[in-house]
Amino acid sequence: MKEYIENVLAPRLQGDGGWVEFVSLEGGRLTLTFRGECSKCTVLDRCTDWIQQKILEDRGEAVTVEAVRKKPFFWDNE
Amino acid sequence: MGHVKVVRRSMRPEDWTDLRFVWLQRGVYADQEEITGLTIQDARQVSENTYVYLDGGERPLRKGDLYFTPDGTVFIKGSGTVPERFKGKEIYLTIKTAAEMIVKVNGKFAGGIDPNRERILLNPYLNGDRFTFEIEAYNRSKPDDERNPAAIGKKGCRQIFEGAYLSVLRDNVQSLVYDYILLMDIAHCDYFNEDYRKFLFVELSHALDKIDFETWEGVDEAAAYVEKVIYSNTDFKGSGDVALVGHSHLDIAYYWRRIHAVQKSARTILIQLRLMDQYPEFRYTHTQAYTYETLEKYYPELFEELKEKVARGQFEPVGAMYVEPDCNVPAAESLIRQFLYGQHFFRRAFGKTVDNAWLPDVFGNSWIMPQILKKSKVDYFVSNKMSTWNDTNRFPHNNFIWKGIDGSQVCACVPPTHFITWNMPSQIQENWEAYQDKEVGGQTLSMYGYGDGGSGVTEEMLEMVRRFPKVSVMPKTELTGGADFLHKNLKDNQKLATWDGELYLEMHRGTFTTKSNLKKMNRALEFKLRETEMLCAFAAAFGGADYPAEEIRACWKKLLLNQFHDILPGSHIHPVYEDAMADYADINTRLDALLARHAGEQYFNSLPFTRSELTFIPDENGPATRDGVKGFWARPDLPGLSCGAVQPLAGKENWMQATPGADGQCAVETDNYRLILNPDGSFASFFDKHQNREWVRPGCGFNKLHLWADNPGMYDAWDILPNYKDVEIPLTVKQPLRLTYQDSVSAEFTVDFLTDKSAWRMVIRLFQDSGNIEVEHIVDWREKHRLAKVNFGPDVLTRELVCDTSAGFIKRPLTKNTTWEQARFEACHHKWFDLSETDGGIAVINNGKYGVGLEGSEVSLSLLRSTIRPDITSDMGRHDIRYLIVPHKDSAVAARVNDQAFAYSIPLRKASVTLPDAWRQALCESGLWLQSAKISEDGSMLVLRLSEQDGARRALRCPRKVKLLNMLEDVEGETELLRVKPFEIVTVGIAIG
Repeated sequence: MKEYIENVLAPRLQGDGGWVEFVSLEGGRLTLTFRGECSKCTVLDRCTDWIQQKILEDRGEAVTVEAVRKKPFFWDNE
Repeated sequence: MGHVKVVRRSMRPEDWTDLRFVWLQRGVYADQEEITGLTIQDARQVSENTYVYLDGGERPLRKGDLYFTPDGTVFIKGSGTVPERFKGKEIYLTIKTAAEMIVKVNGKFAGGIDPNRERILLNPYLNGDRFTFEIEAYNRSKPDDERNPAAIGKKGCRQIFEGAYLSVLRDNVQSLVYDYILLMDIAHCDYFNEDYRKFLFVELSHALDKIDFETWEGVDEAAAYVEKVIYSNTDFKGSGDVALVGHSHLDIAYYWRRIHAVQKSARTILIQLRLMDQYPEFRYTHTQAYTYETLEKYYPELFEELKEKVARGQFEPVGAMYVEPDCNVPAAESLIRQFLYGQHFFRRAFGKTVDNAWLPDVFGNSWIMPQILKKSKVDYFVSNKMSTWNDTNRFPHNNFIWKGIDGSQVCACVPPTHFITWNMPSQIQENWEAYQDKEVGGQTLSMYGYGDGGSGVTEEMLEMVRRFPKVSVMPKTELTGGADFLHKNLKDNQKLATWDGELYLEMHRGTFTTKSNLKKMNRALEFKLRETEMLCAFAAAFGGADYPAEEIRACWKKLLLNQFHDILPGSHIHPVYEDAMADYADINTRLDALLARHAGEQYFNSLPFTRSELTFIPDENGPATRDGVKGFWARPDLPGLSCGAVQPLAGKENWMQATPGADGQCAVETDNYRLILNPDGSFASFFDKHQNREWVRPGCGFNKLHLWADNPGMYDAWDILPNYKDVEIPLTVKQPLRLTYQDSVSAEFTVDFLTDKSAWRMVIRLFQDSGNIEVEHIVDWREKHRLAKVNFGPDVLTRELVCDTSAGFIKRPLTKNTTWEQARFEACHHKWFDLSETDGGIAVINNGKYGVGLEGSEVSLSLLRSTIRPDITSDMGRHDIRYLIVPHKDSAVAARVNDQAFAYSIPLRKASVTLPDAWRQALCESGLWLQSAKISEDGSMLVLRLSEQDGARRALRCPRKVKLLNMLEDVEGETELLRVKPFEIVTVGIAIG
């Protein structure tokens, strides 16, 4: 799953100035860290839904994504 | 007694007007019918106009569906029939979207849709009642026009489709909406007369009173009232004279890859072409020959249309360069090639030589530019940032003369406001108020049009222009073109002030350092291209070989593309960096293939002077290692532009004594100097035996590595702030200085540092037969928000730092007496900087660094940054950085520091070269730098470009008569003796065949 996130999904998000990192997969709960533009995206839930859907399509695994946003300090007041 | 602030909770009359203005905007569409049965295909762009279609194929697209995926492109198709009730009316396709859409209707390019424009007129493309449309849409999670507040709320990789409609307008409502956009902007703007604004609020409210917002009756009466009461009022007077120039700034790469710029440019151009049909008075300026090239290649139909509009003068190519490059880091020859390839494209495609450089967004401009402009047939220069972005001083001119390093002069315009505006009265008035040359400069320039990724002018902006003359408080405005503005106001204007110096931007000082590998590769490839082109050109001109013109041009263009001002400076997302590094690897491979054609048994000295500097030559059997490569050290002693054998340097035993001292210091003595090295690699003492003097000032660091907290905020990749030295991050010495290598030629002392995340090795390399000392830093860099610098505090009394510009040197004050000096605490240099007294000094020559800190008595070379926006991973990974510390007698010029820097930067490689002795002698005796040797673009001449780099007068005595050329390779005269002024760049052509 880590490789899949890093090699398949991450480049897609990077193309929009975003960033995703694999943290853990425990019991169907996939924890991902979001940085860059993703960290302050107002519609990130749509993207995590898409990630769940892609994982189901590509890997046949049903997961629930838990998104951890790591927003840089200079966006703290946004 | 406490003061209680009274908060007004009831609606003010102004609020009532604001509210009804919103209602008015809702009334623009008289009738709409949803288009159903749409299909969508998801894709991802993988190269220029090439897509990978994602799984699932075409699927239905309905209103309310999510569409787009991260970094996604979609293709939407639809068709339908015009309803009976719409017939005979103007019918629009309407889509509200965050994406960038190119729309074809019945197979023809009909226009563009994005957050700034939601409809396209269908009538010109209808084929009876039936229509089909195809949309290519690139999602824009970061809108290219985020200065447009309405667009900010539409970010995100996944969007909700809001439906596609056929629409019919209420023309009178739309017209009144434009009136209100204009007048409400004035009413809310402090720049305008307060009494007029009160008058506006009262009368705008009265006009709206006439409208029934249920039935839309009274709109014509309201419009008549606005005309009669507001537009006809001349009691209030404005002042000013503002030239309005339509423009769309297009970043070739930034928050998108360069492959996306092809579509961005095409969409922008398409939108402007359609506006020209609608508004015959509209004129638009578009830069970057590269974007025209891609349009010609991928959208030939649009390109043909564009050519017609160029011929009619509506569509104006501006900016004579291939792209809008960074104008600090590229070397002189790169900047010249930007003009050469740019101008040759414009000549071929449009029969035009563009006479202006149009660089609104670049991060400051080198002092070498005016000469390059003038000799590229460019008399005018436009660049915005110094006026709107300087953080310390207000740049004192907007329309002025810019004088370059060699004395060349161009007319310059630094417009008072941003290059992206949406043509609101408030923006125009602000421009006039900020304009500093009102009495001498003629009109002020206001660019209007969305940008940062294209898009450009809107119908609304042009409707504003038609209304401006009706408003008495507005400055006088003129819709004009870029060249016309420059010619009208700057040409032969004797009253303009002169700015003699670089156009330093007091911001974005980090871009000299961010993404170290890009800068290092750019430098290396600039020199490799020089040598490859030279060998090929000499072989063609003097040996009759075929000249690989197309291949060399392609390599140059790829390098120039990556010098774009958000690529080379490092201010972009991660995929842009990967693209650039892949491009560099490709150029390198292609140059190796070209060099292989001229392989020889002997080493070729491409420098126009005897190469005798200590040189590292790669050899897998060599005893030494540098940059991770095995090799040996040599003193070539090769005459300029000649080939010869090179032997490893003869060694000498016991040439160095190293004695451990107190506190971990190490005392080192050679025939050249006595050193005391500290455990962290900094120099406690550097006593020069030849000059009998100490170079290290007590109490100052010399070769002292520092790590600073580097938190510039939002503009992370761009900026270094003046307070960066407030917090120093401890660098732990993991393994203190120790002798790690010694043979009869060289010796190495190594220090290993450690931070929480990074490993840093400093290697100090001493030489048996040289007083120069090389330092190599091998870094596994894993920091965040850190700036690594190495400081030099030599015991040299000087108040100026001499910096290489790549075509001459600039002296920068080290004093901090004025705010101008204070603001230049970090500047751009090229291969070297120098601190000298009249009889000697210290130079530091680098192999790919550009940032230099001016810290009063100390100078620092900026090595690495670690920013996280726009690229989380910026500069992470391995780096190999080198510099050479050069103590010398006399001045930097007398000590030939610049020549040493060329020798340090250009590897010595084996090659076979064909160059007649007479030419070799002429070039070497001239004292000029042979910057380039190429075959002319028309194939008729060997072109030699020579630059005077020492601030002296020189002469080139040619073996026979040569053509005098400008930088576009136009013949301007003939001579055998060419006299060259200080810092002048000259180009000559030798007929071949």
